[in-house]
Amino acid sequence: MTPSTVSRRLPLVWLALHRRRRMLLSLLLGVVVFETLIVVIAGTVPPGDLFGAGRRNPPGAFRAFSGSNGDVSIASYPGLLGAGLTHPFWIALQLTVIGSLGAAAVASDVESGTIELLMTRPVSRRRLLAERTGALIAASVALNAAATLTVALGVAFSPKLRDAVPEGAVFTAGLLGCALAFCLTGPVLAVSALSRRRAHVVGAAVVFGAVGFALNFVALAWSPARPLRYLSPFHYYAPGDVLGHGGVPWAALGVLTGVGALGLLAAFRLLERRDLAI
Amino acid sequence: MPGNGDPHGPENGTGPVIELRSLTKRYGGTVGIERLDVSVAAGEVFGLLGPNGAGKTTTLRCLVGLLSPSDGQVRVLGLDPVADHRRLAPSIGYLPGELRLYPELTGQQTLDLLAALQGAPVPRQRELCDRLTLSRADLARPVGEYSRGMKQKLGLVQSLQHQPPVVVLDEPSEGLDPLVQETFYELLAEETAAGRTVLLSSHVLPEVQRTCGRVAIVRHGRLVTVRSVAELRQARARRVRLLFADGRGARPLGAAERWSPRWDGSRVELLVPPDEVVPAVRTLLAELPVADLTVEEAGLDEAFLDLYRANDDQLPTDGQPPTDGRPSTDGRPPTEEPRPDTEEGP
Repeated sequence: MTPSTVSRRLPLVWLALHRRRRMLLSLLLGVVVFETLIVVIAGTVPPGDLFGAGRRNPPGAFRAFSGSNGDVSIASYPGLLGAGLTHPFWIALQLTVIGSLGAAAVASDVESGTIELLMTRPVSRRRLLAERTGALIAASVALNAAATLTVALGVAFSPKLRDAVPEGAVFTAGLLGCALAFCLTGPVLAVSALSRRRAHVVGAAVVFGAVGFALNFVALAWSPARPLRYLSPFHYYAPGDVLGHGGVPWAALGVLTGVGALGLLAAFRLLERRDLAI
Repeated sequence: MPGNGDPHGPENGTGPVIELRSLTKRYGGTVGIERLDVSVAAGEVFGLLGPNGAGKTTTLRCLVGLLSPSDGQVRVLGLDPVADHRRLAPSIGYLPGELRLYPELTGQQTLDLLAALQGAPVPRQRELCDRLTLSRADLARPVGEYSRGMKQKLGLVQSLQHQPPVVVLDEPSEGLDPLVQETFYELLAEETAAGRTVLLSSHVLPEVQRTCGRVAIVRHGRLVTVRSVAELRQARARRVRLLFADGRGARPLGAAERWSPRWDGSRVELLVPPDEVVPAVRTLLAELPVADLTVEEAGLDEAFLDLYRANDDQLPTDGQPPTDGRPSTDGRPPTEEPRPDTEEGP
């Protein structure tokens, strides 16, 4: 036999990442290019110039695009860098990873029938979900790390950005990005543990992301809907505020990881009870 | 445990290796299988026979723990396939009916992945690949490029490579060419000789007739009967062929008309119940100008079709009551009397 390339310690993690390695590399490349573009724009064009010659302040709801719940305008260096970490393109990349690897956790294998080969081995359902969750978290962390390092390098090499962004804030924003990914991951894995269709899981990831983003935007733009912002994960994901003021938003981190953990717990419970074949 | 020569695995007892008691599986309002009672002894090759949709695959999926029974009980080596999954799975080799593989992985990666998940040595991998003509070049190619037969060969290797004491095969010879089928039958014989238990489902009757000691016939999710293949064949109608000397062709056969005569020129074929063959032949020879006569034992296909054609409320037409699927204690084909708690055929 030829030497095996299969990990004997974590074969299910290996399987999930190996099958999607090209997609993951493309997404990593995409996020690096995108964040580089944001950093280059922020470093070369004064943010105020980007939003009208009359120096008008952008509408308040635009704070949703700068990742701020407070006073960090998109027409500022932290706001513009925050926009790079809250932009729908970046969110779409995160959702692609969460949807794809979330579906791969259980639902894809049930739909394709490959679950019959995996789960007739001495593999517990907990191990299946734990390894697949590990693969998803590893991919999400890699994506956030790529974005964070790109922004951090940009800030390090640009005096204007370095002056505007507190030290260490970029890495805190990256940590918040990981927490957002985990917040979306938990419920998506619960759907995967329950469903027998890959499309259900991908759809759930898109709905959680898009509806959450829209809800936060509407809550910021329309005052009667303001209380609804607490229902959106993007209310707690505010990299613009972190980049503008520094500090660690412990409460937001707690909410995001708490929701993710609850979803994950539900996923484990749902998987224990279900049939694994159609 | 697999590979160590212990044919009984976790529960090294003398009871049946596989036992289904009133096994029922419902999908919402649809019944997959209903009150199935089957026992398989150590060292048996047991067949689950029925057309598509009869409930064979559902039964096997309950056996390997992929589905939880809605009602009833499943025991394999004395263990519950769902609750005791991690203890039982090392002792089972399973080939799914519709084998789905990861198309991006090579054949070798697929085998290595499944071996890693099995967590046990795979001493027979190379030997099985060689015997089933899966070359190193084949194994280096992505599975997505495999033909149906090659995928099936890979499926057989993964189900046997860790030498499990219980082998569950769903339609195992699907897609195999005749030469590889022969090798597969040899492998089955070796598994039995080694004291391993094989449960296979099939709708290929000659295959079942060749490989299985006993069969359970299922229809619409319910057990029709459990018999030895020899019993089934013996009990079914004999095929009596007559050639008439006068060349007149079809004619009235009197009382023999009830045995569904099929005419072909001056030849006629009758399906005669076994206990009526001798008087029937005497009568026909006495009354008709018979030039040639042959009596053949019917094959499993006739037995199967007879049982399938029977109405749901009828017993099998061989004059014997259906059994409850329990093997004799030595694992040989059963000769037992029906039990009071028997789940009888419909």
